[in-house]
Amino acid sequence: MNRVHRNCAMGMLALLMGTGAAQAAEIEVSDARLRLLPGDLPGAGYFVLHNNSDDIVTLSGAESAAFESVEMHVSMEQDGMAKMHSIDGVDVPAGEQFAFAPSGHHLMFMQRTQSLSVGDEVEVVLDFEGEESLSVSFEVVSPVSQ
Amino acid sequence: MMKWLLPLCASVWLAGCSDQNWRTKDISEVMPALDFELIDEHGKPVDEEAYFGKTTLLYFGYTHCPDVCPTTLARLAKATRQLDDEVRDKVQVLFVSVDPARDTPEVLAQYTDVFGPQFIGLSGEASDLDALANRFRISYGYGEEDAEGNYDVNHSSAVFAFNPAGEARLLIRDNDPLEAVVSDIDRLVAKG
Repeated sequence: MNRVHRNCAMGMLALLMGTGAAQAAEIEVSDARLRLLPGDLPGAGYFVLHNNSDDIVTLSGAESAAFESVEMHVSMEQDGMAKMHSIDGVDVPAGEQFAFAPSGHHLMFMQRTQSLSVGDEVEVVLDFEGEESLSVSFEVVSPVSQ
Repeated sequence: MMKWLLPLCASVWLAGCSDQNWRTKDISEVMPALDFELIDEHGKPVDEEAYFGKTTLLYFGYTHCPDVCPTTLARLAKATRQLDDEVRDKVQVLFVSVDPARDTPEVLAQYTDVFGPQFIGLSGEASDLDALANRFRISYGYGEEDAEGNYDVNHSSAVFAFNPAGEARLLIRDNDPLEAVVSDIDRLVAKG
C-alpha cells in the first residue's frame, strides 16, 4: 500500500492499541540500572533498548522525578584521553537492540531531588520521536556491584 | 639508510629492555618515579613518600564523572578483590582528582569509600596537579560550564602502577583484560 494509506493504518493501529497503556509494546527496555555515587554526584543510567517494531525508533531524551535533569551522553577515548559529550538522540533500527553500557552511551542524572539508596527503584521516562514515552523502573546499584 | 637505522636500533633496544612476562605495558624504562605534593582526604599536605611501602596504582579523574571514572575504579576494585588478602593489603589506589574546585577532601573521602579501603583520594593546587600530570605526560582539561554550573573534565584514561619504592612499572589500560591486570598486580606485589 502507498505511504499515506500505511501511515493512516499505523495511526489507527496505534489508537486501537490504547493510549492509556504505560508501555509501548513494540519498544522494550531491559536491564535498567542507575549507578549511584555518594552525595549529590551525578548518576549514570544503563539499559538495553529493544526495538521490536518494523520501523526505526529514535530515543530523544529522558526525565525522572528523582532528578532535576537527565541527559544522554556518550563516553569515548581519544589519544588516551577520556571524554564525553551530550547527544540529542539515538536511532535504533527496526528489529535491533541498543545498549547504554559503561564506557559508552549512558544517561547522566544530575541534581537529585530526593535521597536515594542502593536497592531503590527509580522511575525514568524515556522519550521517543513520534512514539509514546516509556516509563521504566531503574534499579539503583553501587559501582562496585557489577 | 641512516633514516631507518635509528628507529630500528631504538625498537630493538626497547624490546630488549621490557620484561616480556608483564601482560600490561611495561613502562619501567620510560616513566619517572612517583613525585608529587598534593592534599589528602583529611586536608593534609602529603608527598609521594607517604605512600611508599605499598604497590601503588595511580589514576587521574574527577568525582562528577558519571561513567568512565567509576567504571575504571570499579574495575580496579574488582581486580584487587581477586587477589589473596595479604597481597591486597599491599596495594593502594591513589585517585588524583584534577577537579579541585569541586573535589574537596570531604568529597574525595566519601567517594573513595565506595570503592574500598585501599582507595585514597588526593587533589591539590592547579600547579601541583599540572606538575604531576606533566611528569607522566598526561593531560586534562575543563569543558564549558552550563547554566547550572556543571562541566565535564577530559582526563587521561590510564592507570599507572608503581612498586613500593615509587618506581614506575606498568601502564594499565581499559582494554587490558581483567585477568591480565590481576596477574600483573599480583606479580608486581611479589616482585617489585
